[in-house]
Amino acid sequence: MSDSLIIELQQLCAGYGEVQVLWGVDMKVRQGEITALIGSNGAGKTTLMRVLSGLIPVQSGHYFADGRDVAGDTAAELLARGVVHVPEGRRLFGAMSIEDNLLMGAYSRKVSRAELGRDLDSVYGTFPKLRERRNQAAATLSGGEQQMCAIGRGLMSAPRLLMIDELSLGLSPLLVEQLVAALRALNAKGMSILLVEQDVTTALDICHSAYVMDMGRIVRTGPGAELLADPIIREAYLGVLED
Amino acid sequence: MWLTQVLINALVLGCLYACIAIGFSLVWGVLNVINLIHGSFIVLGSYLAFGLYQTLGISPWYAIIVAAPLFFVLGYLLQFLLLNRVINAPVLVTLTMTFGLDLILNNAMIYFFKADYRKLTLSPPMGSVSLFHAVVPIDRLIATVAALALTGLLYLVLRRLRVGRAIVAVRLDRDAAVLMGVDVKSIYAVAFGLGAALAGCAGVLMALVYPISPLTSSTFLGKAFVVCVLGGLGSVSGALAGGVLLALVEGVGTTFLGPEHATTLSFVLLIVFLIVRPQGLLGRKGFE
Repeated sequence: MSDSLIIELQQLCAGYGEVQVLWGVDMKVRQGEITALIGSNGAGKTTLMRVLSGLIPVQSGHYFADGRDVAGDTAAELLARGVVHVPEGRRLFGAMSIEDNLLMGAYSRKVSRAELGRDLDSVYGTFPKLRERRNQAAATLSGGEQQMCAIGRGLMSAPRLLMIDELSLGLSPLLVEQLVAALRALNAKGMSILLVEQDVTTALDICHSAYVMDMGRIVRTGPGAELLADPIIREAYLGVLED
Repeated sequence: MWLTQVLINALVLGCLYACIAIGFSLVWGVLNVINLIHGSFIVLGSYLAFGLYQTLGISPWYAIIVAAPLFFVLGYLLQFLLLNRVINAPVLVTLTMTFGLDLILNNAMIYFFKADYRKLTLSPPMGSVSLFHAVVPIDRLIATVAALALTGLLYLVLRRLRVGRAIVAVRLDRDAAVLMGVDVKSIYAVAFGLGAALAGCAGVLMALVYPISPLTSSTFLGKAFVVCVLGGLGSVSGALAGGVLLALVEGVGTTFLGPEHATTLSFVLLIVFLIVRPQGLLGRKGFE
């Protein structure tokens, strides 16, 4: 197992009670890369995110993080390893202020007040809008600002792997562009990112490698540019009909 | 002048009602548990104040300092060892559990303390002051200030402390809180412990105002319930608003109808609110 792998899944199966959703997923997320996970609604992408962050258990197969078997770990243990999940629909604490939301991101880290302040500053540096509205209730933010706050909250957890579920959902193209630029900047500083997207063009455009999921299985994988040029992918996910 | 007297009485009693209700509201809001032991916790707090005063001469003001940690530990352990086992079950199961625990605690109190009514009377008495031409006993006034201080303290704990933020986060979105690394079951235990501590402290303060008997526990529970519905669930300011409103309606109403109708009035108010404004004065609509 290469040491540049941050996450490796082998024949991973999981689901909700009797309902199995994931049927033997194989996947590798490399250190320092942006990895995209694409697929249609109900393909199992969000379920996979929930397994990776420890919200639902692995039923069978292997889940390695940094080469260690973490299949039975709790959400808190995975968080301590730096596996951070920004959930679908942002899931901010609506009645709490932006700053309190960000501080909740750092909840499980044992760091000094000074270090917390520096991390807050760095999030505000990435998303200056948040600093302007730091004392405002999160529920009063626009969709784009909420996504910034959700990503900021994830950053406060000191991620080694930042997993973002549905980055662009409900956002204007201009906002998506801003967020993508922010993610590229974070990645340039060395952060690994796993991006789940329905906007396939955006996802394939910014990722180093991509996985295509369907019916709870990985059906294609390869570099983003390669998949973007693939006629089958273009037809199935971009609605482009080739002559 | 009777009006100022009624208003001042209502303010004094309202703050005490708020103090009775915030612990109940916290547990209901965060854990979704309707905690039926709350009334008995309050009575137990009163007995603690009574006992400390009678045997050791410790005044109720200092008894609060004893009661708060004692009841916190009691509540924490109860939640950690018992209630956490059924916390994900439907609300009826946790309701039944707290009902059973209340029966045990209440009957234990009847067994050990008897059902007689007792009264904590400070000697020498502290006298009374005149506020805007209304007469207010000083011990009640201090109890009110202490009740307000406890309410404010809970507000600060929830707003400023790390554990307080986690309690609020669990209430707002449990799954998201888990993603932040929050250990939900220990947060539940802390919230239940805080609720118990507030009940115990409220009991200490009520000992100065109310006769003490295990039989009054259902009265306190009823008040807490009404205050929560009036003010709106799960907010400190809501409990304060609900407490003052309840005391006001009781005060004005009983002036005209006689004190025997206080409870009837409060439950009529409860029903009116459930029909007209089920989210309470300061509560949010559509929030469980």
